[in-house]
Amino acid sequence: MSLFEAKTPMPRIGFPSALITTLRLLLGALFIMSGGEKLLDLKYFALVIAEYQILPSLLIPAVALLVSLCELLCGTMLLLDLFSRIGASVMLCMMAIFIAAMANNLMRGLDHDCGCFEFLTQWYGLKEEIGVGPIVRDILFFILLLPIALLGSNRIPWKKHHRSNME
Amino acid sequence: MLLSTMSGKLLRRTLVASLLMLSCLSPALAQLHAAASVALAKEESGELDLPAAKAHFDTHSACFVDARSEYSYYKSHIKGALSLSDSRFDEQFPDFRQKITIGTLIVVYCVGPGCPKARNVAEKLKQNGYRNVKVFSGGLVDWSHAGFPMEG
Repeated sequence: MSLFEAKTPMPRIGFPSALITTLRLLLGALFIMSGGEKLLDLKYFALVIAEYQILPSLLIPAVALLVSLCELLCGTMLLLDLFSRIGASVMLCMMAIFIAAMANNLMRGLDHDCGCFEFLTQWYGLKEEIGVGPIVRDILFFILLLPIALLGSNRIPWKKHHRSNME
Repeated sequence: MLLSTMSGKLLRRTLVASLLMLSCLSPALAQLHAAASVALAKEESGELDLPAAKAHFDTHSACFVDARSEYSYYKSHIKGALSLSDSRFDEQFPDFRQKITIGTLIVVYCVGPGCPKARNVAEKLKQNGYRNVKVFSGGLVDWSHAGFPMEG
């Protein structure tokens, strides 16, 4: 029995596992879409990051790639329930960074796209500019990620299936 | 005597007719005059309207500069325009300086008339030695509505 399997806190009383599963699936799908679209047009995302005027120009392409990959990877982890606590924890850190970056730009009076969910612009024509709205939304995501990070599972799902079959 | 009286009458009639025609045309002339003076004032203040910008575009006599943010430029811009955003002017200017000589006529544009970025970039270009800078006040909205060439 591995260390991760020994500490599976999923069935804890007080927070229904169905709710955690729902949150995991919803947020996982959302982060996969968000990371995927960024990877598909990495140059555009890098230009949006440049507009935040926080990072040096040399780092921007690497950060754009890292953020996109992180979102895609963590989204997949959440969706498959594969070390979802780690995935949610990484996304929590990223949400905190996004909130801080947007708040910083808002205070400096900068006005530009937030680069959060570009597919909303493409599908629904919603323009995603930095402001109170996207900050509140990211705070909401932060709150929704917390139960997964604290009470979610830290295991490989198909290994568990194998074990149960053996038993 | 009779001939001179006849030619006098004809001359008088011609004069009256001319005056009448002028009085009919004068409101239109006044409007034309006003429009011309506004265009002249804009031209003098370094602003271009759509036909003037298109004329420069067609004759390749100017370098078009997009003052919006780089990601907006990446999505769509006037064909052949360069990006020199108001927000990241200092980072982009060294590259621009290498490409475009000081004497080149530069036409800066933004989204539309309400957007101050074009004027800001034009001002910054003038501060950096570019004297021949004009602002296309209609911007990308006028340009795209007219169906003129875009890319991105």
